[in-house]
Amino acid sequence: MAGIGFELRKLLRKDSYFGLLRAYGYAGIISSGPWVLSILVIMAIGLLALGLLPDRSDQIWQFLVSVTYLVAASLCLSGLAQLIFTRFVADRLFEKKQGIILPNLIGLLTVMNLLAAGIGLTVLLTLFGGTPLLYQVEMFVGFVLLTNIWCITVFITGMKAYRQVLWAFFIGYSVTFVLGMALRRYDLEGLLGGFVIGQGILCYILLFLVLRYYPGDRIAAFDLRRANLTFRSLIFTGLFYNLGIWADKFLFWYNPATSEHVIGPLRASPIYDFPIFLAYLSIVPGMAVFLIRMETDFSERYDAYYNAVRDGDTLSHIELRLDRMVETVRQGVYDIFKIQGITVVALLLVAPSLIDWLGFSPYYVPLFNIDIVAVGIQVLFMAILNVLFYLDKLKIALLLCLLFFVSNVLLTLLSMYLGAIFYGYGFALSLMISSLVGLAVLDREFQQLTYQTFMLQRQS
Amino acid sequence: MKWPTLKPNDTPADVTLLLEGTYPMVRGGVASWVEQMIRGMPDRRFAIVFMGGSESAYDGILYDKPDNVVHLECHYLMDAGQNVDEPRQFEGNRKAFAASDSLHQYFKEPGASDPNKQLCEVAQLLGKKGNLAHEDFLYSRQAWEQIVEYYRKYCTDPSFLDYFWSVRNMHSPLFLLAKIARNLPPSRCLHSISTGYAGFLGALARHLHDIPFIVTEHGIYTKERQIDLTEAEWIKTYDDVLTHGFRHDVSYIRRLWIRFFDGIGRLTYSAANPITTLYEGNRERQIIDGAPAEHTRVIPNGIRVDRFAPLRNQTFDNTAPVIALIGRVAPIKEIKTFVRAMRIVATRLPGAQGWIVGPEAEDPEYAQECRDLAEQLDLNGTVQFRGFQKTEDVLSQIRVATLTSISEAQPLVALEAMAAGIPVVCTDVGSCYEIVHGHAKEHLTSLTTPPDPANAAGRIVPIADPGATAAAILELLMDRPAWESARAVGIARVDAQYSESLMLERYEHLYTEVTDGSRPLAAAGE
Repeated sequence: MAGIGFELRKLLRKDSYFGLLRAYGYAGIISSGPWVLSILVIMAIGLLALGLLPDRSDQIWQFLVSVTYLVAASLCLSGLAQLIFTRFVADRLFEKKQGIILPNLIGLLTVMNLLAAGIGLTVLLTLFGGTPLLYQVEMFVGFVLLTNIWCITVFITGMKAYRQVLWAFFIGYSVTFVLGMALRRYDLEGLLGGFVIGQGILCYILLFLVLRYYPGDRIAAFDLRRANLTFRSLIFTGLFYNLGIWADKFLFWYNPATSEHVIGPLRASPIYDFPIFLAYLSIVPGMAVFLIRMETDFSERYDAYYNAVRDGDTLSHIELRLDRMVETVRQGVYDIFKIQGITVVALLLVAPSLIDWLGFSPYYVPLFNIDIVAVGIQVLFMAILNVLFYLDKLKIALLLCLLFFVSNVLLTLLSMYLGAIFYGYGFALSLMISSLVGLAVLDREFQQLTYQTFMLQRQS
Repeated sequence: MKWPTLKPNDTPADVTLLLEGTYPMVRGGVASWVEQMIRGMPDRRFAIVFMGGSESAYDGILYDKPDNVVHLECHYLMDAGQNVDEPRQFEGNRKAFAASDSLHQYFKEPGASDPNKQLCEVAQLLGKKGNLAHEDFLYSRQAWEQIVEYYRKYCTDPSFLDYFWSVRNMHSPLFLLAKIARNLPPSRCLHSISTGYAGFLGALARHLHDIPFIVTEHGIYTKERQIDLTEAEWIKTYDDVLTHGFRHDVSYIRRLWIRFFDGIGRLTYSAANPITTLYEGNRERQIIDGAPAEHTRVIPNGIRVDRFAPLRNQTFDNTAPVIALIGRVAPIKEIKTFVRAMRIVATRLPGAQGWIVGPEAEDPEYAQECRDLAEQLDLNGTVQFRGFQKTEDVLSQIRVATLTSISEAQPLVALEAMAAGIPVVCTDVGSCYEIVHGHAKEHLTSLTTPPDPANAAGRIVPIADPGATAAAILELLMDRPAWESARAVGIARVDAQYSESLMLERYEHLYTEVTDGSRPLAAAGE
């Protein structure tokens, strides 16, 4: 499996407008494909079922909210392992020790399954009294499956096998859609059952891919335990990042003024939820640009810089390489601004008609508008975090994610206090603050990079 | 055996010897000399500060403890980086690095200023956290900026990485030295037996504690380091393909190291008084390398004349034409010249024998080459490789001693031969000329008169010249009055100038002179 950077470079090198479009299109699909698919399929199931069974809208609503909670909770849980495992995979690949990656994935999955099962059971037993037993079982299985899926996806993405991930998601969500439609007459349990079976299939396809293409030299290993303290900070970085993303949503779900009861302990905020999920679909172009910049120019120049350091180049060459690396980051930020900016402006213009066409109330439009700005900034924030990970500035990344989480909580609470027209601003502002701070810190880090590279290494 | 250490409030040692890579961990000429000095002055209390590379390179202490050694401490300079703090980012002290900068400017332009002021300032800062501690040097931004600035200004080699690590490696022992200097045992004076790191330690302590500091050099440290560094393979040389063979300049990193040792040598010379060495030629070299002429003096090594004087009657009656070369069989002794000279001698004087007396273990390949050469020249039986033997036993049976070395300092074996009444034929290296002729070689001018053979203890011949060597040997073997004259001059010269007691007396005098009226370094530390 050739690296994605290689394929993208090949497309870019065709040096034609069409080749460029194909490269960006390809990057867009592989970088955003999985979650775009999942949002689209869940929404499609919801809308189609609603169209076919208008009198069962309560049940359909319960299904959508349950799935959202499953996704949110499983993302937050697997977020604990997401970054540290990505780093572990990258380091082992660098050392050319592929053989011990798979055993560690199995080890990780074992731990995550135990955790997910423990948490899932506890929550079900304490909070879901009164809901149907089949629903409880489906929720439990769905939660465990999703946690597994995110962990395996991290692994395969770490291997840069974006295409395989995309295919697996395509098949998994096709099954989810077909089964969901087929089982819709069995109400909530039917819809959720279809989802869970689809996720099960997705999970096993991913596992099959992993076992088929990445042989391991043992059955299971727990080398992550031995990660040093710096790496352990990645656990919290992943946690705070995911908590940051979901903080405003949880707050809206559990603020009585903005939410309503749905099923069991689950509450939802119809006014807040729908626009934000729709808005997430708008970041495909930004993600494509981001992927192309990171995987082609940046990683190339990053290597060139460290090679210059290692191979004993002159200082002016080393600094030239650093400048070129900084240049790609700057260029990447500009590109995200430009592409995502155009997307945002276009969506702002069509938002009223779009919302109307989808059959929703025009009250959604202002919130949708701020949400597309917010998720656009989120692309930028992800790009900054990624560069920090590349540069091994793990502590700074942790602090930035913590800043994002805390500011999202505080500003969202403030926006609730200020009233409905400020809804969404908490999320957007917290992303903006974190990104601006991130950019400033990144600038400072780049200025000190050569000093740190040489002077702050451990004496051997 | 346990060697003692002095506590800060103990009676100060009379002399603290600063020893780099020699006694008591390494055997050799200098180590023997140190032991000779300590045992020769039983009334003085000696402290020893030993400095070595890394601890694993030594087999521990190789000598028995003399009764008058009151203190021994050992430090390993290559292990210097092991006890530093974890890396952390900080700015560093601007003033301290400015002081270091002005000292570095002195290295670049020695002679433009007196380095004592700068060194004194740096000595106060070196090793102190927040000034010029090892951590400041390793991690601070100020240190980084200084390294970058010097690299941009001076370095002509391409690799910044090599430059960076060379700078780190050459400086890291200095911080340990600063620590040692602050915590020296209480002593009345310091005596370093080389420049280099040991000398630098002495210079630092001299500035920190205002205590008398003597330097004695047997070989010239800076010169020896230069030879090492020119041959060092660990320094990469960047050669363009096309300039290969045309360019003879030394790479910048090599010059950096050479200048580093040159620089700390200059600092040592400027802080030390007096500066002694074995013979006039070395003294001149020290002056060229920055030693103030008025502080230098020559103190030759001495031998135990009483060991060899009893042989004189026996050697006077020797008639067998036997010539001996006493020394290791190694390229530096240029044994092959002696073998070739013996071919000529044996042709003119059948029955002459050439003995090569010394161990062959150092370079067996070279030893075999020498044996092969002797065989090719049909000298079986004439040239004999006799292995290691007791010097007295050899001297009692021969008529001429030779040294064909390409490098020597002050060869004791020549003095021992003279003490036993044997004329010598030596190459013109080290102090051989002085030993044979009784005075330093004059620089060649039109007025230079050739040395008077009546005042010579033998003959001086050019390096690697078998013809001249053979001629000198034959002259001494075949001309009885010349042989007797050389023998008489040699005996008189060794008795008058090269006895151990004279050398010890001179150092006794030196120690008394420098410690008279000076305040001893009482409590270690500040």
